[in-house]
Amino acid sequence: MNEKAIRKFRTALLLILVSAIVGYLIYTRIMAYSLAPTLEPRDFSKYAWYEIPFQFLWDYFSHGWICLLFAFVTAGLVYEFIPKQTITKYMSSSKVAGYAIGAGLAPFFTVCSCTMVPLFAGILYTGSGIGPAITFLLMAPAANILTILITGEFISWEIALVRIIVSLATAVLAGVVISKTSWGKAIEKEHQTSKNATVAQQRVELVKVLLDERLISALKFGGFLAKQILPYFILGLVVVSYVEAFLPQELVGGYLTGVTGVLLASVVGGPLYTPTLVEIVLGRSLLQLGMSKAALLSWLMGQPYDIPNMVAVSRIVRWKVVLTYALIAWACSVGFGLLYGIVTSSL
Amino acid sequence: MKEIKVEVMGPEPACVRCQAAKKVVEKAAEKLKQAGMTVKVEKVNIISKEIVGKYGLLVSPAIAVNGIVKVMGRVPSEEEITRLMKEAVK
Repeated sequence: MNEKAIRKFRTALLLILVSAIVGYLIYTRIMAYSLAPTLEPRDFSKYAWYEIPFQFLWDYFSHGWICLLFAFVTAGLVYEFIPKQTITKYMSSSKVAGYAIGAGLAPFFTVCSCTMVPLFAGILYTGSGIGPAITFLLMAPAANILTILITGEFISWEIALVRIIVSLATAVLAGVVISKTSWGKAIEKEHQTSKNATVAQQRVELVKVLLDERLISALKFGGFLAKQILPYFILGLVVVSYVEAFLPQELVGGYLTGVTGVLLASVVGGPLYTPTLVEIVLGRSLLQLGMSKAALLSWLMGQPYDIPNMVAVSRIVRWKVVLTYALIAWACSVGFGLLYGIVTSSL
Repeated sequence: MKEIKVEVMGPEPACVRCQAAKKVVEKAAEKLKQAGMTVKVEKVNIISKEIVGKYGLLVSPAIAVNGIVKVMGRVPSEEEITRLMKEAVK
């Protein structure tokens, strides 16, 4: 066989694989299988302590494997096929475009924190300023494609959707506010490079890659993400299984509901650094144990101001900006949590 | 013979994929060196103002060959990067 035929064959095979994964997920939706785990907190009482993590893990993976597989494959595909050059070009073209792309496309762009800080710095340096940079920074972890898919399937699509909307509002608000403060402006001035960003873009001539190689690289990236995230995810599940089994429902029902619940969840959500996706599982377990939906939203919104992230960013923009955006993010998580609770009467 | 200069751009400290990109580039460079070409591989910080001023906004890992960004946001195969380096001195 010549090379062309091999390539065609490989492309077809890869496309079939991807379609099979997508198709199976759609099939489970049509047949209305539950992809979320089915164990309830009281089910744990029949297991010995050492059996609990295994039962919990089995429950998650036997139902959710297709959903996890789909999420990682999608994340890889989106990341590979998103027109990176077009976006990076327009992102630095004007303020409005900066905000729009920062908020609207950040979710698709960053599934991995290692691309986030460089892009943040890049946006800041290339002239769209500190506002869009902050918007991007807050939006990316709060509503990236992995998080949204897993939140939607494991908890509910209502929460996933609300999470996107409120994250967007928070991110834009924080960006706009910081760009108006004197310390935000100072950072912006300090970092602005005199060179025009469009001049720089001319030195980028990305090579074209054939479809089969792109698909392989997309799947590889999905695999890479899984390798990065899953070990912590599994470890997180083990811990969460004990939380769900042993944390008394009265405690959760007493403290994680009402206004106190929102406040508490928002305070704990940030500093308690949970690895990617584990916050969703822990949130789900707490919900099962009686946490209110409003508190759950505040809890999930707590992610962007986690400590390791803030440390990395503070090296570029100093603490004053970091504290400002953390404060805004926190205030918004409380505000939107309460609002959501009132609107859906689930406080 | 013209010199080939390859810049591998990633954040400092390097992320896993940027390290992978660097490894691939070094491997390819080693082979080209043995074939008698002059290759210089450099790891540069993507968050530096100098790089952003030069290339604009980039997605890491990015690889530039002789001052032109060829690869962005992915780890190329050794085969591909060898081809890119050879093309640069043609």
